Amino acid sequence: MSNWHPTNDQLLEFASGTGSSAMSIAISTHLHFCQACRHQVHDNESMAAVLFEEQTRADLAGDGFDRLMSRIQNEPTVSAPKAPKAPSRFPPVIEKLIHKDTESLDWRSPMKNLRVSQLLKDETGLILGLHHMKSGGRVPHHTHRGNEISVVIEGGFSDEMGSYGPGDFIHLAGEHFHSPQADADGDCWLLSLVEAPVKLTGPLGWLVNPFLKP
Amino acid sequence: MTEQQLQDREHFANMLEKVAASQDTQAFQAIYNHFGPLIKAFGVSSGLHYQGDHLPEELVQEVMMTVWRKAGQFDRRKAAPSTWIFTIARNQRIDLLRKLSKYQNDVDADDVWDLEGDTDLFGEVRESRIQTHVKNELNHLPIEQKQIVAKVFLEDKSHQEVASELNLPLGTVKSRVRLAMQKLKTHLGANEL
Ligand SMILES: [Zn+2]
Repeated sequence: MSNWHPTNDQLLEFASGTGSSAMSIAISTHLHFCQACRHQVHDNESMAAVLFEEQTRADLAGDGFDRLMSRIQNEPTVSAPKAPKAPSRFPPVIEKLIHKDTESLDWRSPMKNLRVSQLLKDETGLILGLHHMKSGGRVPHHTHRGNEISVVIEGGFSDEMGSYGPGDFIHLAGEHFHSPQADADGDCWLLSLVEAPVKLTGPLGWLVNPFLKP
Repeated sequence: MTEQQLQDREHFANMLEKVAASQDTQAFQAIYNHFGPLIKAFGVSSGLHYQGDHLPEELVQEVMMTVWRKAGQFDRRKAAPSTWIFTIARNQRIDLLRKLSKYQNDVDADDVWDLEGDTDLFGEVRESRIQTHVKNELNHLPIEQKQIVAKVFLEDKSHQEVASELNLPLGTVKSRVRLAMQKLKTHLGANEL
């Protein structure tokens, strides 16, 4: 089980469906690995359901049910319970974003021992990326200005703050200065969530945000 | 939980199972009559009508279509009917708003918010304790906490958006939510939460 989790606020926004697309995907990925947070989201949904039931009812259109039934008549079968999902390497939502396989993605290598690929840019400008570190590889020292979130999806890495494994949801606050090293026994794959670059922040700006072209 | 709530929970779980087992339209209509007006109210709280007068009603249609299609996935051991239908309404709201916006991506709400949820069975007891407790405590919350909780859960607003609307610092919104959540969750053992 994972040791690093989203905050309670983030889990609540997830349960009520108000987080941004990229943030929601990052949290969904963490939930894939973390039962404790799945429980908390479910508790939040149960609470939301109480408020949902206490709302003042709105009157429905008179022909609503008839319209519904005529739509249903055009697709009459109630689907059987879904077959269990085929096992996949990464959480299903990430597999869907990767489309085919990791080698078909568009990769760029902003630093030694690290390559990155952008999976999605969301409606708030957050960029969800896939990072790949070779086993045992150490990425040179760099800082993160602004906030960044990493979610390990395979393997693990360590930096000056700790060691991280699958599912860990790591908040890298501004000015976090580190030199991550992938575990020796396998490559490390992680999701990253960063704000879209607005401007270069200095001669090393491209290091701060790997999605900026050097 | 009051006797009435327990009966409702039982009753609508039975109705959903009838829809799944035999496409029972009477059972489906009972679900529609009870939950339809709540789904529509949720669509209005979410501000759907600002984007089109017909949209709250459209949300009811989409949610009920999903209830019909996915009734076989409802499992009373995992979720109350109200929780299950709330999560469908949340997902459909996300997809409906996405369809209306310029921004598109390749994932649907169901890919991100997995309706099958936790495979943990026997969540039923825990959930019904939480719901009973929340229902009782809600009326004891200070009005500003109750208002904020209703907003963050139902109104399709992030904490930041609630803060802007109420003209409060984000930190104040977060701390009011936190205080309210603590009260709504007290009396439940810490290790359960
Ligand atoms: Zn967690």
